[in-house]
Amino acid sequence: MKHTWAMAIDLDRCTGCGACVVACNAENNIPVIGEAEAAKSRLMHWIRVNRYWEGEFPEAQAIYLPIPCMQCERAPCELVCPVYATYHNEDGLNAMVYNRCIGTRYCANNCPYSVRVFNWYDYKWEKPLDEQLSPDLTVRSRGVMEKCTFCIQRIRRAKEAAAEEGRGIRDGDVVPACVQTCPPGAMVFGDLADPHSEITRKLKDPRRFRLMEHLGTEPRVVYLKRQKGAGR
Amino acid sequence: MLDRRQFLKLGGATAFATLFGGCEKVQRKLIPFVIPPENYTLGEALWYASGCRQCPAGCGVVVRVSEGRAKKVEGNPLHPVNRGKLCARGQAALQALYHPERLSQPMKLSGARGSGSYKPVSWEEALSLLMGPLKTVKTEAPASLLMLTEPMRGHAGLVAGRFMKAFGSPHRVAWDPFGPDAMITANAAVYGVRDLPEHDLANTRYLLSFSGDFLETGISPVHYAREFGRMRGDRETIRGKFLHFGPRLSMTAAAADLFLPCAPGTEGIVALGIAHVMVRDRLTAAASAAGRLSDDLSPYSPEAVEKKTGVHAHDIAAAAEEFARNQPGLAIGGTAASTGQDGVFHCAAVALLNVLAGNVGEPGGVSFPNRAQAFAKYGAETPLLAPPPESGYAGMRAALEKMRSGAFRMAILSGATNPAFTLPPALKFVEALSKVPFVVAFTSFLDETTSLADLVLPVPTALEEWGDDVAPVGHAGAVTLCQPVVTPFHDTRSMPDVLIAAAKELGGDPAKALPWGSFRECIEKAYGGPGGEMEKALQRGGFFGESLSPRSAPRERKTSFPAARERDFDGDPKAFPLVLHLYPSVTLYDGRGANLPWLQELPDPVTTAMWRNWVEVNPKTASGLDLAEGDAVTITSSSGKIAAHVAFNPGIAPDVAAMPLGQGHTRYGKYANGRGENPISLLPAGETYALQATRVALAKTKLSTTLARAAHPEGQWKVKNMM
Repeated sequence: MKHTWAMAIDLDRCTGCGACVVACNAENNIPVIGEAEAAKSRLMHWIRVNRYWEGEFPEAQAIYLPIPCMQCERAPCELVCPVYATYHNEDGLNAMVYNRCIGTRYCANNCPYSVRVFNWYDYKWEKPLDEQLSPDLTVRSRGVMEKCTFCIQRIRRAKEAAAEEGRGIRDGDVVPACVQTCPPGAMVFGDLADPHSEITRKLKDPRRFRLMEHLGTEPRVVYLKRQKGAGR
Repeated sequence: MLDRRQFLKLGGATAFATLFGGCEKVQRKLIPFVIPPENYTLGEALWYASGCRQCPAGCGVVVRVSEGRAKKVEGNPLHPVNRGKLCARGQAALQALYHPERLSQPMKLSGARGSGSYKPVSWEEALSLLMGPLKTVKTEAPASLLMLTEPMRGHAGLVAGRFMKAFGSPHRVAWDPFGPDAMITANAAVYGVRDLPEHDLANTRYLLSFSGDFLETGISPVHYAREFGRMRGDRETIRGKFLHFGPRLSMTAAAADLFLPCAPGTEGIVALGIAHVMVRDRLTAAASAAGRLSDDLSPYSPEAVEKKTGVHAHDIAAAAEEFARNQPGLAIGGTAASTGQDGVFHCAAVALLNVLAGNVGEPGGVSFPNRAQAFAKYGAETPLLAPPPESGYAGMRAALEKMRSGAFRMAILSGATNPAFTLPPALKFVEALSKVPFVVAFTSFLDETTSLADLVLPVPTALEEWGDDVAPVGHAGAVTLCQPVVTPFHDTRSMPDVLIAAAKELGGDPAKALPWGSFRECIEKAYGGPGGEMEKALQRGGFFGESLSPRSAPRERKTSFPAARERDFDGDPKAFPLVLHLYPSVTLYDGRGANLPWLQELPDPVTTAMWRNWVEVNPKTASGLDLAEGDAVTITSSSGKIAAHVAFNPGIAPDVAAMPLGQGHTRYGKYANGRGENPISLLPAGETYALQATRVALAKTKLSTTLARAAHPEGQWKVKNMM
């Protein structure tokens, strides 16, 4: 069965707390780079929470925007990879084959959302912090590009479990680490191919918008605008 | 004829052939495992339930364990406090478990006290080093034993409490820097219940927050964040509206529909202004029942409040109107904002709004379930298992006096609250502790406090030990059970285990008071032991079945409140023009998270700064002082002087400078040390732990460091499009 994975992020619920970022660190073997590298904007996080200011005191306002990889349907990053390291997989995700990557960084250059991060060094996990590393995915080496995969290992796990039980994947079987932990429940993940899934319902919300829609990248991550006022 | 030599030759050749033949066959089988099939991982991952202890909120967790190692912590979906959700600090518990600087064996002091040089010793030697002084103190002066811990809940608290009682010492002090003392006192005055309220955010329609911090570090951030999400989006036709009053645009304030800045230390006055309008205009039944404006309320007309707080009179009137019209409504105070001597007044004024709205005990309002119900069978000992969630600052100050006078001959320290770091240096904790001849510390890490001990005993982390817990709010009668989700990584023993063993060796009363072989046995005895109910409960993460009976409502409800009190700011406003606003860090809490790299590298939600602390100022204030973003400044108060980098916050009152707590460690390992200076050193030795009642002055300076910020590489979105 073909899946169309998608994510909805409700900005009316997001509090900007950063739980998604640390959950992703733990799930996806994301290295810690240290203060000096962080100051060069080389954070390896696969999801970041942008904070935007609007207005001046006393009308100042902050708004948070969590940004994982948009998993674009027409992904600008895929077109420019000379070695097909980044490709569209059978579920329509932008997947990475790490050992094909030769580090041209064309993909990052072409990504309008700046969600791709590059291993400038062989980042080390000081012993015994490496005991925590997840066996489900590799530790990427120097010179390799990486990015959010919608927790592809969890998708695979759910598929295997479903196949073992001889059934299809049910809504809620696949939950990426960020969605799982989000304290206010701002994130929803699911299969758009399933007409009864929560994500299908969420995406009918008139508040929906996509980032930089005018570029025609057709992102799989859809945001729901913040609301104002007491009613709906 | 086959002679002996030929036989051997033949035998050798046969063996050789067999050996080689065998090798080939084995190789064929081996190759697939040397290069395993794609997506092949060794072993099957299992999930174990336990409790989180990264902060006192008491969430339940499940831990993914693969090949005997913990890989991922997630919220326990069955646990009523967090329902599967977890914050950044909870996620980072794994890094505490596998931290390179975690103590792996007992250590005894090898240099001068406080030098931090230790020599590893065996547990036998460590226990004999502990028992020697303990026995002497027991026979000569049992009351000279001090136990200084963080608030211990569940049976760990029972063991510690019983140990001290049987030992003969009344000096058990618990210290939690963010204990909501003022809120508890105010609740006793206004609601008649001396406990924390349960705020039913999910069902409320209108939320007023007065410097509330319930989404970031308050009493139970994950619980309230989840409830906040439900308030916003889980009801078909209702979306709860949220107004925030306070001097700083915090992470919680950013989630509000409307952020209305007020002058520092005037949150309670704003609340009284709203109460004034509610009673004057008889907006709710409870407000009409209050009748005429009482003398307490009559001076707080919106116009008068505007003069004091800077909040427009029409905003106050509109807030009162909307709050009354959209019931159930809820008013929440802040914990950090009510730490001063005026804190009780602020909390009481906020509580008054809940009373006037008539939401006490109602859905979408405040209620006071009996938190200690699960431990009622312990009778008079119940407070040991479910202690009131207070900071213990008064007890701490009293203990400091005694320490200085030499009343203590031995001290047992434990917990993550690190008083040498979290208490103002003006209180001279380090000096006082040096007057105690023998100090034992139970800890996982050396920090500013535990590195002052003579004997350091390593303890398991929360993911490696037995225990139980009752959360301060949101637990609906649940008892969390904690179990080791992995085999202890180091040679550690938990504090209750050591206390039980020590009691046995002391004999007499202590041995009788703690009649178990180990802490695990104590837990098993309490919950029915292996096999029965407890086994199921361990799989689920605790006992979640029973629901709490509400406390019987107080007979007469007072709508009066403690007298209005202006905040006494420490320092001369001329010399120190800005008000220092210290707040718990969203990522590092009180500083205990500062040694975890994941938390250090998590950008702060408001400033996006990492790895170092900063001082938040309004851009207008900064331009007056000729300061740009990232510049270095000195922050001077009447008690101390530190330096930090400037980060702009356009939503902070121009007369306020805010700093997060948690950085400025000197002895908490390489990830924590040298990342700015501790802002606690700016506080005076006050009668309360007042985090926001000190005046400071800023002056430009130079620092060799820079402040790392998370960038927005794609530039500025049009925020209007997102709202």
